Amino acid sequence: MGLILTALLLPALVGSVLILGAHRLPARAAGGLALLASAGALVATIAAIGTGARIAREWIPELGFTWIFFSDQISAPLLLLTAGITLLVVVHGLRHRPAGGPAGLYFGLILLIDCGALATFWTGDLIVFFIAFEVVLVPMWVLIHRFGDAHDPGARREAAIRFVLFTALGSSLMLAGILTLVSASDSSAMGSILSSGLSSDTQMVAAGLLVLGLAVKVPIFPLHSWLPPAHTIAPTGGSVLLAAILLKMGTYGLIRLPMALTPDGFARVAPVLAMFGVVGIVWGALVCLVERDLKRLIAYSSVAHMGFVALALGTNSALGLQAALVANVAHGLISALLFFVVGGLKERWGSVDLGQLRPALRETWPALGFALMVGLAGSLALPGLASFWGEFLAITAAWQPPPSPAGLPAAGGLLEQVGWFAYVPPGPVSAGLLRGLAVLAALGAVLAAAYSLRVARLVWMGDPAPRDRDGDATGTELFVIVVLVVAIVVLGLLPYLVYPGSSVMVAGL
Amino acid sequence: MTPNLVTIDWLVLAPVLAPALGALVVLLADALAPRARGAHLVIALMALGAGLGALPYAVTTATPARTLCLTGPQARCFYESGPWGLGLQALALGGALLVLLMLGPGTRHLDRAQRGGPAVTVALVLTATAGAVMVPAARDLPAWLVAIELATLPAVALVALSRGRGAEGGALALLMVALTSFAFLAVGVSLWLLATGDATFATDTLRTAFDDPARHRALLLAILFLLAGLGFKLSAVPFHMWTPQAFVVADEPVAAFLATVSKAAALGAAIVMLAPLIALNAADDPRAQSIRLVLGVLAVASMTLGNVVALRADDPVRLLAWSTIAQAGWVLLPLAMLTPTAVSASVAYLLAYAVGTLAVFAVAAAVHSASEGAGERSLTAYAGLARRSPLLALVLGLGLLTLAGLPPAVIGVVAKVVALQPVVAAGQWWLVAAAVVNIVVGIAVYLRWLLVVIRPGEAAGATRVPVRLDPGLRVALALLASALLVLSLAPGLLIGFVR
Repeated sequence: MGLILTALLLPALVGSVLILGAHRLPARAAGGLALLASAGALVATIAAIGTGARIAREWIPELGFTWIFFSDQISAPLLLLTAGITLLVVVHGLRHRPAGGPAGLYFGLILLIDCGALATFWTGDLIVFFIAFEVVLVPMWVLIHRFGDAHDPGARREAAIRFVLFTALGSSLMLAGILTLVSASDSSAMGSILSSGLSSDTQMVAAGLLVLGLAVKVPIFPLHSWLPPAHTIAPTGGSVLLAAILLKMGTYGLIRLPMALTPDGFARVAPVLAMFGVVGIVWGALVCLVERDLKRLIAYSSVAHMGFVALALGTNSALGLQAALVANVAHGLISALLFFVVGGLKERWGSVDLGQLRPALRETWPALGFALMVGLAGSLALPGLASFWGEFLAITAAWQPPPSPAGLPAAGGLLEQVGWFAYVPPGPVSAGLLRGLAVLAALGAVLAAAYSLRVARLVWMGDPAPRDRDGDATGTELFVIVVLVVAIVVLGLLPYLVYPGSSVMVAGL
Repeated sequence: MTPNLVTIDWLVLAPVLAPALGALVVLLADALAPRARGAHLVIALMALGAGLGALPYAVTTATPARTLCLTGPQARCFYESGPWGLGLQALALGGALLVLLMLGPGTRHLDRAQRGGPAVTVALVLTATAGAVMVPAARDLPAWLVAIELATLPAVALVALSRGRGAEGGALALLMVALTSFAFLAVGVSLWLLATGDATFATDTLRTAFDDPARHRALLLAILFLLAGLGFKLSAVPFHMWTPQAFVVADEPVAAFLATVSKAAALGAAIVMLAPLIALNAADDPRAQSIRLVLGVLAVASMTLGNVVALRADDPVRLLAWSTIAQAGWVLLPLAMLTPTAVSASVAYLLAYAVGTLAVFAVAAAVHSASEGAGERSLTAYAGLARRSPLLALVLGLGLLTLAGLPPAVIGVVAKVVALQPVVAAGQWWLVAAAVVNIVVGIAVYLRWLLVVIRPGEAAGATRVPVRLDPGLRVALALLASALLVLSLAPGLLIGFVR
């Protein structure tokens, strides 16, 4: 129990201290404190997951709000991803801190985002989930506004406020959905809502509101328009946190709230979710084919990748759930790698305009070039890398007709334990529609190959040029890159590390 | 032994009597020892402290605590204070205490002293507070009406005595509104009397009137008149226009008084009037549909117009005035459901809002020097505040985020959750939709201010020296900052208090 609190309070406390004392603390001390806090949070997270720590107590009994914190197979990989990526961002910031404010402020904001994201993944209470969801807003707003792209203050302000307002709109809609559930069951603990037997109408309303609200955060086409400016303008560390962690809060919310708590309602919304997910896949890929700004291109590729997660969830099947979980973590690692590399390139070049002719990356800076190639290979879902499993399984789940309830064994067999909650496989969704979507998604995967190779051709390949040893990846960057590449390859070879159940399913194919 | 006509428990009445007596003592002291200027503030703080100290007694005696009860078979009490009433009384007393600390009448450090001298300021604040504490506990029409006016008129004088240019004009606007709203209330009260034949807000007589078709209409009309009259006091659109006029010319602490203590009185009055209706299960009664609709429309109009205009305001006090209008909408939103939960939700929201608003006003009083009056204040004065004075920026940030409903000010988030819950539970989706949009617009309003605070650039305003803080203001800032921090860690303290 204490371990979870340590994991949550350590970044929150140290972050607050760093922000308040930002103008007095020397940069080295601030960096050191942040390193200790984020490493401590990672260790405490690992230990808490390992020991199965759990907190359950009342918070505001008058309203039925509770402090429930726990981890299971769904949240554990995301907890580790959050704590790990934050540590990498802090390490990266020790050497490559963006200008725009004191070190204490930069690291403090990162730690507050860490705390909010960890709390989102730890909690088992809907209201606490909502609050944790909102905790990341203000720090990320300040991070983009203060430390973003130095070239254009107007764009920075615009991107930052657009991020806050879009996300706040999404979370307010989600709050309406949450309150529907809380009002119907007089408690905000996920467990008691699950066992309260919600009526079909309540489920429908709640699922609709929850999916709509979370779709902004994921983001799902056409609610994605906050993402490209935010990812493009944010400093390298901010882009990494946005892509690797904040987007995962949206998909995790989709799994944890509408899918788990309102299965009947979600079954009816799911086909719509799948459809918009596929539109996002194709749309994102098409934009990537013509986009000139490399950072913005990576941002749009995130829209496409999150489209795969939405498709997987939209199949509303056990296989789809597994695909979503794997794709989530894979995208977290790969987008982090890509944003670290592209952010580094932007630092060096001043801009990442693809229209500008530059010496070939493989010749001048081979280490950065290698990292970029791994990231791009991951982006096109090359077999053997982490992202392959997520997208492959998502398409498979959409192609396989979901088992009709009649075809399944008796009621007892309907309940499949996914983590701590009972996940009920839904009734039949239109199998034809899903097959069509699977074809389109596969087309999107082909387009992903096309744009990845386009970037490789424009940036990585080119005429021979002298090698520039000093400009290549610094030691800090190398460390970050190696950790991420190893994680991507290991996860590609052993995807069941993320989700034990998926090994069973893959073996069964 | 002759039986008393009325039983009185003086300790239950103490929250009202303490500030009223305090005002008398201050005026006496001023007459006897005109030179002892420092004593007034001390007397006032002691009086308000005594009032606050007496509240726990009312909590422990009974729920609700009653006194001024008629003896006999139909024992009816004219003073009754349940959990929500105690919450509002605590807000009125605590708010007045903080406002007095900010004003610091009679202290040597201050050049903020109002015209008219410290004794007048202190007496006016105490009198208005006594009225505001009385309102939520009044159960008979005359006392209710008198208490509302007692809470209003001294506030008009406080505005008139402010230093800023045009203070008299603002006070005049406020006075006109006070008179108009009194007219509405008087008509409403007489209609109520006509419909129910009872000079108290009692459920049984209301039920008879409600069920009688002939009297039902008169009763509805009475409630609508009363709501209109209270709409002025609450700054609900379309009765809001006086708010920015009075706020910008008033001293910042006086504006804070109008935004918090006066609002506690106004909400208390509204709940006292609606309580018998709520006890009738008006939430599900189609005959009360029009009342729910009117309240809902008032709520949506207030929050929408308030937020939209606040988005454009450059004078921080004008921004706060429109923010008060918007927040009045949030206070009315749950009340429009006419359920018991909605009442406590409304009060809880008002409490959270008041703490946030007082914090912002306290920082505004510190940042804007005494020479800056109406029309000279600008948001640019806050440029680089985070660098110049991190602690002031922290209090301001927490206050603004409380009003916006964003973490780390968890109390603001919980307040929004609490206010929205009855509306969602009642399935009033048009209100939910309006509220969701207004959450987003509201965030834009307050982040716009916060943006100036965290702006790195050394704007013109950033070069000015940090303001020397008066000791009273320091204490007020410290109290408000710790209140916001404690409530953000344990919002249950506030929620549990009013349930």
